[in-house]
Amino acid sequence: MGGMGNRGAAAKVLTFLGERWAALFLLLLLLGFGFLERNFFTFKNFSNILYYATTYALLAAGETFVIITGGIDLSVGFVMGFTGVSSAIVMRDMYAAGRPEAACLLVGAAVGLALGLIPGLINGLLVARLRVPPFIATLGTYGVANGMALYLSNGFPITFLPPRVQKIGNSFLAYLLPDKGFTFLHRPEGLKSKELRSLIGIVPVTVLVTAAVLLVFAFILKRTRFGQHLYAIGGSKDAAIRAGINVPSHLVRTYVLSSMLAAVAGVLYVFRSGIGNFTTMSASYELFAVAAVVIGGASLMGGKGGLGGTLIGILILMTLENGLNIAGIPAFYRYIATGVILIAAVVIDQFTPERKAGGA
Amino acid sequence: MKRVLILVLALLFIAASFGFAQKKLTFAYMPGIEDPFMRMIEQGAAAKAKELGASLIVGEYPKAWGADIQVPILEALVARGGFDFLIVVPTSNEALIAPLKKINAKGIPMVTTDTFLGNGDYSKASNFSFPLAYIGTDNVLGGYEVGKRLAELIGNTGKVYMNTTNPDASSVTGRRDGFLKAMKEFPEIQVVGIDYNLDVQETAQRQTSAVLQKHPDLKGIFGTNLFSAQGAYQAVDNAGLSGEVKIASWDATPDLIQALKDGKVDLVLAQRPYQIGQLAVEWGYKFLTQKATVPKKVIPGFFFFTRENVDAPGSQSYIYQ
Repeated sequence: MGGMGNRGAAAKVLTFLGERWAALFLLLLLLGFGFLERNFFTFKNFSNILYYATTYALLAAGETFVIITGGIDLSVGFVMGFTGVSSAIVMRDMYAAGRPEAACLLVGAAVGLALGLIPGLINGLLVARLRVPPFIATLGTYGVANGMALYLSNGFPITFLPPRVQKIGNSFLAYLLPDKGFTFLHRPEGLKSKELRSLIGIVPVTVLVTAAVLLVFAFILKRTRFGQHLYAIGGSKDAAIRAGINVPSHLVRTYVLSSMLAAVAGVLYVFRSGIGNFTTMSASYELFAVAAVVIGGASLMGGKGGLGGTLIGILILMTLENGLNIAGIPAFYRYIATGVILIAAVVIDQFTPERKAGGA
Repeated sequence: MKRVLILVLALLFIAASFGFAQKKLTFAYMPGIEDPFMRMIEQGAAAKAKELGASLIVGEYPKAWGADIQVPILEALVARGGFDFLIVVPTSNEALIAPLKKINAKGIPMVTTDTFLGNGDYSKASNFSFPLAYIGTDNVLGGYEVGKRLAELIGNTGKVYMNTTNPDASSVTGRRDGFLKAMKEFPEIQVVGIDYNLDVQETAQRQTSAVLQKHPDLKGIFGTNLFSAQGAYQAVDNAGLSGEVKIASWDATPDLIQALKDGKVDLVLAQRPYQIGQLAVEWGYKFLTQKATVPKKVIPGFFFFTRENVDAPGSQSYIYQ
């Protein structure tokens, strides 16, 4: 009897740790790098990590939805490039035609977001109606979106956008100059070189936008019937059909959501960089997105995962790169570290005892 | 009279048959990656081919840098055939030797542009000396000149950082080595790091941000190509340090020229990609039609943009557009 109880307790501890290992690992990384490098544990650096995490967080959020249904979306990185380039072209041409800047930005962003629906719709229809395996369907759109972006941009980054684009994309909610005080939304002017180097921006605007979008999607996933149905579909498609869920319609909507988030990432990228850049293949955004989702505790078999976990996955990858970079570790080791952690994530997941149905 | 007429007709006939026999020459261009620089080489080559009455076919632009991506495209281009001369940008100075040698053995002469095979010295017999010439920038010299000028911009003292693309492409490694050589001449300058962004601008930006975090007193950055320089200046601009951290960049794209005018970039080295394309076709044409001896190295030189000369009328032709 006693032995049974102990084993139960041990399993509980293992389950507890296994389910939270990613968060614990992130904490460990933060503390470790903070201990090793004086310049790591600063407000500015955390702000940097979040700023660079935005693109990946948006792509990985969409990927989370798709992976929960048991699918995969390989097209996200190139959909991002395609929508970014399209949106930048609209902004550039309208600005060149002398339209007011605000109109250029709004129309450009709207066009980018709207175009983002198309690849998702195609992915969804291919997967749900024509029963093309998600890997192949989205690999196809990956190629098409990449080709479209290169065709539209002719291999050149789209430049000469309205100057306000980059200003908005890189502004902070507030700026703090130590000993001098705050300004809101715009950088204080006429600073001397030493002051410039100590100026601290608080919360990049792009991080705020990303956080807002992610909150909405977390709500959809956790609190709506649609979100709950996705878990059911990923758990067992047949059971979901028997339960009366319209599986094809749910799948189409899932791929559209994923593509939409990639478009948000594409438009935000234009705002951040001030140019429309096609995605280079070596960027491998889709692989980072999938990796983050898996590190965050999702299963590629479907039925499992969540945005909180995915976000932790992204933060692990970003913190690792940033920390190793600041610690002066040569670039090649960083790739190795990312690979090892990805494999560790899946292994830990395999060895974590399953929670019993109805358990905590 | 009649005899003269016959003679003229005969001569005309001979000339015409010569014209027929001398079929239209076709050049093939195999770029290294999808970017503005490679596109400019194509433009120059196409213009020169048109001028000489030859034609140009172009291999697919690889979407990423690397032999594993370029070689299949190159082989497809050769399988399609129908060209007399190859202009190629090898994406690796080692991995492209064997595939190009195979093509050369089929009787297709070639020049390498922008990057080279081996150490780039085709004048001595070796397993990579089969291309007729390397036509491109002297990257080591360019990197060296950039280094000298960047040192001057930061007052010959302080920390500098280099962001580059790939560790195995002869063009950017040349720039790197030249730059490091120049830095050695300044005992008070410290090179605090070299990062490889694999041609991803966002990565370059992220890496630069981290370096600025580690070295808040950084004085200068050398971005060795378009993506490196754009990522670097955006990171510096976001940190509010434009003008404080001097940025030297390579390749005169409209964006970098605009950034120079805006004060976000301080120095731009312009290569002559259009001229590289022209020279490649011109020398190929001379070789095919007149059996001309092609010099083993053809170096078109470069041009430095600064804020002082960027608006001068004489500078405009160096911008890639």
